[in-house]
Amino acid sequence: MSKKNKIYWFEGVTEKGVKALLSDENSKYKWLRPQRNRRILVALMAVGLISVAMGSYWPTLKTNLNLSDGTSVVVYSVTAIFVIFAVLGGYSLLRISVRSIADAPDELLDERQIQVRNTSIRYAYYAMGYLVLALLSLMFFGPELKMFQPEGNDGSYLMIATVFAYASMPSMVMAWCERDI
Amino acid sequence: MLFPMSRNPEEPVYNRIEEVRAALGFSRQELADKAGVHYQTIGYLEREEYSPSLVLALRIAESLNQEISELFSLNPFKKGK
Repeated sequence: MSKKNKIYWFEGVTEKGVKALLSDENSKYKWLRPQRNRRILVALMAVGLISVAMGSYWPTLKTNLNLSDGTSVVVYSVTAIFVIFAVLGGYSLLRISVRSIADAPDELLDERQIQVRNTSIRYAYYAMGYLVLALLSLMFFGPELKMFQPEGNDGSYLMIATVFAYASMPSMVMAWCERDI
Repeated sequence: MLFPMSRNPEEPVYNRIEEVRAALGFSRQELADKAGVHYQTIGYLEREEYSPSLVLALRIAESLNQEISELFSLNPFKKGK
């Protein structure tokens, strides 16, 4: 009889999922374990987050297609959706690369892993603090410097990027700093 | 290390885990299962990059049938001891 899979809603992980990643039973993710590969993933993730944040500056490629029956259809660029999904995929890979240790609850980790997770979250907290400070500075000085005023910019891309950064920062710190995971 | 992620003390705890484990014919995974930790943690301990809590040190000593003082020390062990 298989034991029920416990879901940790607050952490966003499942017991079986974390145990499977910790046990090396799925070899298809082995390529993510070397620190060099993890660091490449972190760098790509950082580029992805910056791309999402700069979403308001992407060409919209908004085109009016006039159909033969007189109606017209507006076609928008799918670039934004593509980049956001790419960052979502990167976030999933990042979590796998650190065996979900950055998000796992105490009861699924040993004492060293708990310490590594807590340290990652502490550094991520500092990093997010500086990031928010930079964003507040941009909000404060941006209008005077005529920055961040493209047509239709409501700050939504910046907000999406900040949420992604908040969610992925502990895993990014751990993937970059920890030698063996 | 620029950002130490786990306990990497200024005063390290030396150990003979690798030597005793090899003598008993245990793999890292087997010792990890006995001590209730991940096998990477055994690796960190053997490289003296992580200092265990007292509870973990006692569990490892018990798993290897050793006295804790024979396995862990604040001073380096002499080779072959």
